[in-house]
Amino acid sequence: MRNILAIAKKEMTVYLTTPWAWIVFTFVSFVSSFFFIGLLVQFKQAHEQIRLMQGGWEQVGAEAQFLRNLTDGVVMPLYSTMLVVLLFVVPFLSARLFAEERRQKTFELLMTAPVTSTEIVLGKYLGGLVIIGATVSVTLVYPLVLAMFGSSFSATTSEKTATLEWVTVLLGFGALVLFGATVLAIGSFVSSLTESVIVAGLITFAVCLVWMIVKIVAPNADEPWRSVLDHLAFDVQLRNPMRGVFELKPLVFFSSVIATFLVLTHRSVESRRWV
Amino acid sequence: MAMIEVERLTKKYRERVAIDALTFQIQEGKIVGFLGPNGAGKSTTMKILTGFMPATEGKARVAGFDVFEKPLEAKRQIGYLPETPPLYPELTVRGFLKFVAELKGVPRGQVKSEIDRVAKGTGITSELDRLNSALSKGYRQRVGIAQALIGNPKLLILDEPTEGLDPRQRAEVLQLIKGLAGQHTVVLSTHILAEVKTICEQVLIIHRGKIVADESMANLTGGRENGLEEKFIQLTAT
Repeated sequence: MRNILAIAKKEMTVYLTTPWAWIVFTFVSFVSSFFFIGLLVQFKQAHEQIRLMQGGWEQVGAEAQFLRNLTDGVVMPLYSTMLVVLLFVVPFLSARLFAEERRQKTFELLMTAPVTSTEIVLGKYLGGLVIIGATVSVTLVYPLVLAMFGSSFSATTSEKTATLEWVTVLLGFGALVLFGATVLAIGSFVSSLTESVIVAGLITFAVCLVWMIVKIVAPNADEPWRSVLDHLAFDVQLRNPMRGVFELKPLVFFSSVIATFLVLTHRSVESRRWV
Repeated sequence: MAMIEVERLTKKYRERVAIDALTFQIQEGKIVGFLGPNGAGKSTTMKILTGFMPATEGKARVAGFDVFEKPLEAKRQIGYLPETPPLYPELTVRGFLKFVAELKGVPRGQVKSEIDRVAKGTGITSELDRLNSALSKGYRQRVGIAQALIGNPKLLILDEPTEGLDPRQRAEVLQLIKGLAGQHTVVLSTHILAEVKTICEQVLIIHRGKIVADESMANLTGGRENGLEEKFIQLTAT
């Protein structure tokens, strides 16, 4: 356990003393604030229009009903776009985990130290996970801002109600972290296969992008592939948690993907001893 | 007691035989020079002894632990300096040594004193708070040796510790290694014979994957001034 923590701490130190993590934090804050402002403007316009209409929300079609409250109208759409942002930044973070060690010839230190390959893989994964958790946490500022300055009224009694549904918000936050953790596991494996950080990043991004939108890539698939792809696609698995519906299925699915790729990473690290 | 016991150790990279049925022993407390032309199999042997890669055939034991069967126990006995010092450029020297101490399981309370001890021993105390990436070649080599010394391992395996140093730094590093005699068993590889003459008690010469000489320094040179050079050229002629 101490070895795992030592390696995790080293990874975090490297991320935070070099531009890697800071570039990601800055990029995520920049992009997400753009989307946040855009969504807020859209939300405000919708409410202004509705106020002028006879009958209010009853007149609006089902497809626009999500704009009724801040949780479904602003926070959750923001989190959905964050999924795409993570698809870009997590491969950027995961790429150096193993590839850089090989390039710098420091892997020999880890491999000849009295630590097991399992400890190396878990330590590195844990270190990356903390940075990804921090990256996703940057976006918590938006629900907090809304909770402080926003207000919400019950549709029937016009009484003031809680601004945000925190359970839904936290579920979306959890889904973001879980998705980041999944891409990180895939990225660790890819990184363990190459000496080039750039190659590792690009391949991870390509794999995860295709996996994310596999439904678009293969729109005319026949049964049984259609159902298989339906279950495998990241975006399908994420749809419900991103609507605030808690399900065990995505949790099991993403945990399985993470476990599979960590085992593959371990095998890949072990196999380095055998060439 | 034998610190290193190697029996019929063979390593093949696909068809190419890097080392071929090596058998030798190294006694505790000795400083041993591991010589041979470039590509003779020195680094390969060291990488197998340190558990970085497995042998194709044969056995190797360090302090009685088989490096293949009991890798963690064997690795705890070894301090290893690879050909390229494995320094993380992003860390400070102190941060790096602390990381190594944690990996080697130095008790939490002793990490600080252990870092001070090895830093003093290798003369890098003044550099502790600099980044690894900012160090000169000579200091990188010293930090590499300091890293190997952490945890006070019984056996030090140094792969070309003086490579790429200027003559002054060379002399300093050799002096440093000589000072380690007694407390540690030291195996160092090099192809510079003059270095071996000054500090080693036993010499192993390896050529094309085979041991061609395994003798004490006095026996090998026969007391002559140029004995080692003559012998080396004669043994590695083919």
